[in-house]
Amino acid sequence: MMSICKHDFQGFFRSPIGYVYLGVFAAIANLVFFASCVLSSSSDLSSPFSFLLTVLLFLTPILTMRLFSEEYRQGTDRLLFTAPVAIWEIVLGKFLAALGVILCCLLLTIPWLIVLIIAGTPAWASIFGCYIAIFCATMVFLSIGLFLSSVTESQLIAAVLSFALFLGLYLIDTLSSAATGVLATVLDWFSVFTRYDTFMSAQFSFSNLIYFLSLTALFLFFTARVLERRRH
Amino acid sequence: MIQVNHLTKRYGSTLAVRDLSFSVAEGEIIGFLGPNGAGKTTTMNLITGCLEATDGTVTVGGLDSQERPETVRRLIGYLPEQPPLYPDMTVNEYLDFVYQLKKCTLEKHEHLDSVIARAGLTEVTGRLIRNLSKGFRQRVGLAQALIGDPKVLILDEPTVGLDPKQIIEIRDVIRTLGKDHTIILSSHILSEVQEVCDRVIVIHQGNMVADGTTAELSKRMTRATQLEMMIEGDTERVLCVLRSVPGVASAVLLERDGNKATYRITAEPERDIRHGVFESLAQNSLAILSMNQLQASLEDIFLKLTDADIPEAPAEEPRPETPKRKKFLFGKRGGRK
Repeated sequence: MMSICKHDFQGFFRSPIGYVYLGVFAAIANLVFFASCVLSSSSDLSSPFSFLLTVLLFLTPILTMRLFSEEYRQGTDRLLFTAPVAIWEIVLGKFLAALGVILCCLLLTIPWLIVLIIAGTPAWASIFGCYIAIFCATMVFLSIGLFLSSVTESQLIAAVLSFALFLGLYLIDTLSSAATGVLATVLDWFSVFTRYDTFMSAQFSFSNLIYFLSLTALFLFFTARVLERRRH
Repeated sequence: MIQVNHLTKRYGSTLAVRDLSFSVAEGEIIGFLGPNGAGKTTTMNLITGCLEATDGTVTVGGLDSQERPETVRRLIGYLPEQPPLYPDMTVNEYLDFVYQLKKCTLEKHEHLDSVIARAGLTEVTGRLIRNLSKGFRQRVGLAQALIGDPKVLILDEPTVGLDPKQIIEIRDVIRTLGKDHTIILSSHILSEVQEVCDRVIVIHQGNMVADGTTAELSKRMTRATQLEMMIEGDTERVLCVLRSVPGVASAVLLERDGNKATYRITAEPERDIRHGVFESLAQNSLAILSMNQLQASLEDIFLKLTDADIPEAPAEEPRPETPKRKKFLFGKRGGRK
């Protein structure tokens, strides 16, 4: 598993895509931080992190689209499937590689904390909540992106489908605020963004954590099933 | 080493491989021969565990490939028709990755150096795979198959698309590897199979239509021995002498050139008439200028075996090569060849 993880993680940086990815993320993130924290002298990170999730919503498919599609196109999937590794190792290896890139992105926000320590009074509980929230929500996006990459050999189709599905998730959020009664409760329960907001407001809840983890596990399981099915 | 029992692979209503059974002994080099779409690649994918059989079993080294897939995969090195290469990696990086992927426990540098040397890659180890010629890419593919020192090598059309020099080089490598490996290679190039393999399995429409050494197949397909001879002397007299030889079924004149002529002599089944013909002609002072025993070439055998449809096969549509193992929910495969 670690060999696949390492290979895919390095794969992002073997071509310019990894650097462009980090560069774009850093540029947008720092701009948002500057606008929402520095200019308004606020030490509340929930505002830039809220925006960062939208940024990652668009950037995640770019990260995941190649993970399986590219293997199919190059014929390298046969190398993976004839190696003495289990399907779950392949899926988890690729997932962790993509998660590694997201971690690199989040590491780029560490200077914000330094700025906050120097110039303000950081609310550590809220900051910790923000990081946990974005990490958990991104895990869900990555697992969905990985799953969609496993069903097609076209990177473009994988990316477009991921965007479409993420847009659907976003719509659930919008609908849940417009709906009333049971429907609102149900939609709220399903909404990634509502749970993300809860996390960011430093209200740690195990049910939210389990929701994110189980949704991630579900899509990783679907991915493994797709790969299994390809052998039939 | 490899035991294939009643292997069947069905894709929907299409039978890609039907009831295939054969065994490969340790150290043998087996050639899978068949026209495009015969089921060679599918059979190889089934042996490597890349595909799951609809029915039947494959055992490698006594282990069932479905029950112990990971252990069996350690015993097999597989080179698909399109070598599974990452163009962005250097040869060294790629082989290092495959070494880790295969969870190899052999001493890394020593093993990789030996693999690189065996595949003839020493001069290109630092180069990006995308910049290598097709011949070298094929060698890199072969090198990845050799990592982990598997006992069995499965090579799917290893020389396809190479120029004649590269073909000879790859064949030499395969022949050398055959000294300490069990090899199954597929090809539709008959001379290649004849040159490299100990035994040939001819597959047609998913069925095994022949299994044996090239000599055995040749013998099997040549119903009666035929001689083509150039003899000096009066044609009528020569024909008369030839027809009087015991075991000769027929003798015909093919071509006359002055006092010499070429004849085709057909023997009765299972009879060797060469001694009798020689003695009779010598007794009659008729000089033999040349004598060739005609044998069916592998091309003849191949065409004969694959010419007609399999009689017992139910009428189904012909299947493409590599019957689409990939089931894509979206998009379609393409450009793999």
